[in-house]
Amino acid sequence: MAMVGAMVGSGNIWRLPYITGENGGGGFLLVYLFLLYLIAVPGLMAETMLGRYTGRGVIGSFRSILGEGRWEGFGLVVLIVNIALMSYYAPVVGWILYYIGHSLLGTFFQPGFAAQQLWTAFAASPVLTLGTHTLAVALIGGVLLFGIRDGIERTVKWMFPALVIALLAVAIRSLTLSGATAGLAFLFTPDWNSVTRPSTWITALGQALFSTGLGWGIAVTYGSYLRKHDDVALGGGLFTAVGNTSIGLLALFAVFPAVFAFGLEPAAGSNLTFITLVQVFPKMAGGPIWAILFFLGFFFAAFTSGLAITEVGVTTVQEETRLSRKQSVLGVSLAIWLLGLPSAYSAEFLGLMDFMFGNWGLPVATLAIIVVVGWKMGPGWLLTPEWVRLTELNRNSDIYVGRWWSLIVQYLIPPIMLAIMVYFVVSNIGQQPIETAGGVVLVGIILVASLVIMSATRQRGASQTLGGD
Amino acid sequence: MLSLLQTTGTAVPLSAWVVMLGAIVLLWGVAGWALYRTLTDEERKLDLIRDHGTIDTYSPRTMAELREWIEAHPDHPENETAKAAYNDCVETLHEIDTPFYEWSDEQRAELEQL
Repeated sequence: MAMVGAMVGSGNIWRLPYITGENGGGGFLLVYLFLLYLIAVPGLMAETMLGRYTGRGVIGSFRSILGEGRWEGFGLVVLIVNIALMSYYAPVVGWILYYIGHSLLGTFFQPGFAAQQLWTAFAASPVLTLGTHTLAVALIGGVLLFGIRDGIERTVKWMFPALVIALLAVAIRSLTLSGATAGLAFLFTPDWNSVTRPSTWITALGQALFSTGLGWGIAVTYGSYLRKHDDVALGGGLFTAVGNTSIGLLALFAVFPAVFAFGLEPAAGSNLTFITLVQVFPKMAGGPIWAILFFLGFFFAAFTSGLAITEVGVTTVQEETRLSRKQSVLGVSLAIWLLGLPSAYSAEFLGLMDFMFGNWGLPVATLAIIVVVGWKMGPGWLLTPEWVRLTELNRNSDIYVGRWWSLIVQYLIPPIMLAIMVYFVVSNIGQQPIETAGGVVLVGIILVASLVIMSATRQRGASQTLGGD
Repeated sequence: MLSLLQTTGTAVPLSAWVVMLGAIVLLWGVAGWALYRTLTDEERKLDLIRDHGTIDTYSPRTMAELREWIEAHPDHPENETAKAAYNDCVETLHEIDTPFYEWSDEQRAELEQL
C-alpha cells in the first residue's frame, strides 16, 4: 500500500492525459496497456524483490549482486535518472501549489475566467514558476529533514480517497458535458496507424515506466524496507502497477470528455490537465469545494511521490558517502533544486527533459535492474530467474508466480525494450535528428560516465587502503 | 482543429466501447481484486504470525517446483540455499497448527526434509 501511495502522483494525473493526447488517444492506450502488463508488472516484481533480497539502496543493491567496481555504475545510472526526473517533477508539484492557491481564492469561478490565460500568466512569470519550484523542493526537503514523513503519509491516507472521489466527481461531470462523447471516441477508438508508429511505442514504454515508478529506484528502496514475510508479487508488482494506472484511467475520463466539450486541443502539451479541469469545476454543483478537494488531493499524491523519489537519492547518498542523513537531504535537495531551475523557468525545457529522461533515461535504468535480476542475481546465470522466482519471488507471496515470469524477465523484457528504442532511433533519426540523437547521446554519456566514475572511485578507495596499510 | 470539428458530435464507435470495457476490466477490475486480496491476505498473515510466531514460506505448488529444481540441479551453486529454504518451510509446516497457504493435513504429513 505504501508503494502505491508513493507512486500515485503526477505520472497518472498530469502526464498520462497529456501524453495520450499527444499520441493520438486510443492506439496509444492499447500499446500502453500491453506494455504495462508485459513489462511494468513483472518488472516491478523484479525491482521490489531486488530491494528485499539485498536490503540496500540502489547502488548498494547492484554492489550486492555484481560486486564492487565499475558495474556498480548501473546503480549510479538509476540514481542519476532518478534525480533528473525529480528535477522536473518538482516544478510540476509547484504548479499544483499555484493551482491550490487559486482554488482557495475561487479564481476559477470568477466571471470572465480564462483557463489558458491563467496558465500563460503563470508560465510567463519567473517569480511564480521559480518560486513555486523552490517552495516544492523546500517542502519536500523539510519533511525529509525533520523526519515528519510518517505524519504526511498518515495525512495522505485521508487525502488519497478524497482525490479519488474528487476525480470521480469531475469525471462524471465531464462525461455529462455536451460533446463529451467525442472525447471518449478519441480516447478509446483504436487508431491502428498510431499503433504502428515507433514514437507511440517509445512514448508508451516511457509512460508505463513513469506512471508505475519502475526504474526510478523507488521499488528497490521500498523493497529494502520489507520484512521477510512481506509479499512482493501482488502488492509490490501487480497492485502497484495496475492500481496506479487505474487512477490514470480515472484522470483520462475526467480530462478528455472536457477537452472535446470545451473545444480544446488534445495535443496541447504538458499543461493539458490544468487548463482542462479548471473549466469543469464551474460547471459542477459545489464546484469550489470539488476544486479545493481535487487540488489538495492531487498535491498530496504528487508530494508523497516527490518524497519517495527524493528518498531514493537520500538513502543512496547516505549509504555510499560519509554524509549524515541531514547532509544527504540537503545535498540531494539542492541538486534537485538547481537542476530543476531550467524546467521551472521554461515549460518547453521541461517537455524536452521529460522526452529525454522519460523515454530514454527510464528505459535504460529499468534495463539495468531487469538484466541484473534476470541474468546476474545468484550464481549460474542461465538458471538465475528460476532460482530467484522459486526461492525469493514466491516466498510468502499472496499470489503464485509461474514460470512465465522467468521467461519474460530473462528473454522478453530486455530485447523488447531494446527493440523499441532501436526502432524509434532508426525511424526518427531523419525526421528529428537532434531530439533522437540527443536521446542516444544522453543515454551513452550517462552509462559510460557512471561506469567510469564507479570504477575510479573503487580504484581510489583500493589504493588509499593499500597506502594506509 | 479540423479533425477536432469532425470528431465532435460523432457517436462512440463499437471498437471504442470494446477498448473502454477492456481498459476498465484490466485496470479497475484487476486493481479492485488485487486490493481486496492483498488486504485480506496480509491481515491473515499478521494474525498467523501473532499466533504462531511464524508462517509457512511457500505454497504447495511452489514447494513442488522447488523440490523439482533442487533435484534437477544438484551441482548448482545455490542448491544448498534452495534446500535450506525448502527444509525450513517443511519444519514450519510440521510445527504450526494453521498454515497460511492451502496445505491439506495429508500433504503436510507427507512432507519430508531434503
